[in-house]
Amino acid sequence: MADLFIHRAPKTSAVLPFYVTAALFFFGWSILLFLSASELTGHHFNPHILAIVHAVVLGWGTMIIFGAAYQLIPVLCEQDLFSYRLAFVSFLFLTAGSLIIVWCFWNFWTGNLLITGGSLVVIAGCCYLYNVCVTIIRSANSTRYQYFIISSAIWFVLTATAGLLLAINLTYNFIPRNHMDMLKLHAHAGILGWFMQLICGVGAKLIPMFVLGKVKNDRLLHFSLAFQNLGLVLFMVHGYFRQIDAGTWGYVLLVLIGIGLWFVYIGQAIRTRIRKKIDLLMKQAIYSLYIPVFALISLGLTYLLSDTKWVTLYGTFVFLGWITGLVIGKTFKTLPFIVWNNRYKDVHGDARIPLPKNLYKEHLIRLQTYFFVFALLLLCIAIVVNREGLLQFASAIWVILAALYCYNVGTVVFHQSKVKP
Amino acid sequence: MKIELNKAYAKEQMKAQLALMQVIDPELGVNIIDLGLVYNVDCSRSTIFVVTMTFSTPHCPLGDAIQRGVHHAMSHAFPDCLIQIDIVWEPEWNFDMITEAGKEALGIH
Repeated sequence: MADLFIHRAPKTSAVLPFYVTAALFFFGWSILLFLSASELTGHHFNPHILAIVHAVVLGWGTMIIFGAAYQLIPVLCEQDLFSYRLAFVSFLFLTAGSLIIVWCFWNFWTGNLLITGGSLVVIAGCCYLYNVCVTIIRSANSTRYQYFIISSAIWFVLTATAGLLLAINLTYNFIPRNHMDMLKLHAHAGILGWFMQLICGVGAKLIPMFVLGKVKNDRLLHFSLAFQNLGLVLFMVHGYFRQIDAGTWGYVLLVLIGIGLWFVYIGQAIRTRIRKKIDLLMKQAIYSLYIPVFALISLGLTYLLSDTKWVTLYGTFVFLGWITGLVIGKTFKTLPFIVWNNRYKDVHGDARIPLPKNLYKEHLIRLQTYFFVFALLLLCIAIVVNREGLLQFASAIWVILAALYCYNVGTVVFHQSKVKP
Repeated sequence: MKIELNKAYAKEQMKAQLALMQVIDPELGVNIIDLGLVYNVDCSRSTIFVVTMTFSTPHCPLGDAIQRGVHHAMSHAFPDCLIQIDIVWEPEWNFDMITEAGKEALGIH
């Protein structure tokens, strides 16, 4: 009887590869950043910067989000994932596509190989979207989080498709618009459509769950999603048919209202929480949510001041601050549970066993948080003051942070149970 | 889980409660009795003990592990009995079901 209601934990083989690959990408892009730190003083449309951004966005952010989503979507939808095999297929396509894209950008090969890489990422996105949609359609309950998940998955496929078209356009020029303007639309479909909406959906479920908070007004989430999508669609249409100009700020405002409503929802959950002690990982994830405010300020500066460093600062806040901050915090809130389930599920209640939080080294988490704050601050300062030496030093801190993270992920992944079932 | 000491099988129920206190919710780090997840242990049938319980959220990713934990703990305590676990969603679990000890462990004031 119980089996009818209980979710079977996701298969380790379907989720773990995403986490391991993402950690390797993190270390990889930190090395690339170190090798090309001085190039951060120039224009962002630069082969090495493009390679780093795509390694961060695809190999790191998207990779780990896919893995976490396959783990969490069953919780959000109250329904087992449609296909773990398809999840693994999406992993293969995303990994191959990300590697090819990063390699092509690093060497600035804009031909068929780059187009192939882009196509693989689009296929990975389609696999993910199909898997998510069928899981949700099969779900008996319609929860507000599901709309965020579907919407963000659609935006991912749109972003990847736009990126593929831009890759084709680099070789076979066919888009009757300025390539740089189209690049902005591609980037913001990814930032606001894919990352922001997914984080809003998952966060709205998980944050109240972790802090044991109650929110009565669920409609806030519906309005939040509606405003975010309305603003983003209008921004895209305006940006494509006209240009990204002062007029687009109105649409940005709509998106901001949507995000603001989400913050009101989360704020209610945190205020009414009964679990007063919030652990460091949770604090880090919550504080990372405020980093987009600094990103927005630097975005405003790009309009007021012509220097390209403000665009670099904006990208740094978004990709290295917001996304990386959330990911390194949330990794150890999700990954240990997968490993724990695999190692200890069969002996739970039978023997003295560690808890999921005992699988990683807690003192390294504290160290990781300090290094993250230090690395981010230092890099931002280095970008603003435009000093190559400081940029080099800051990027070295990122390498240390990535190594710490990889070591801790490895500790969890390779954890061996000493208890015999 | 309430145990009425004047009822028959109160002794078995207390033994079951002690056994189930060994089953920890892996996320919260608190045992399932203090979290209020166990609603009842029916010991009225001598060969089958029925644990009626819930989870803090439907489709809890660790639900399977907790269920196995309950089965193991009860099997150890009552090796001659069959253990049946019924997962129910009514009444829905809420924070008020956490015991004082559970609240203290969670840092709830």
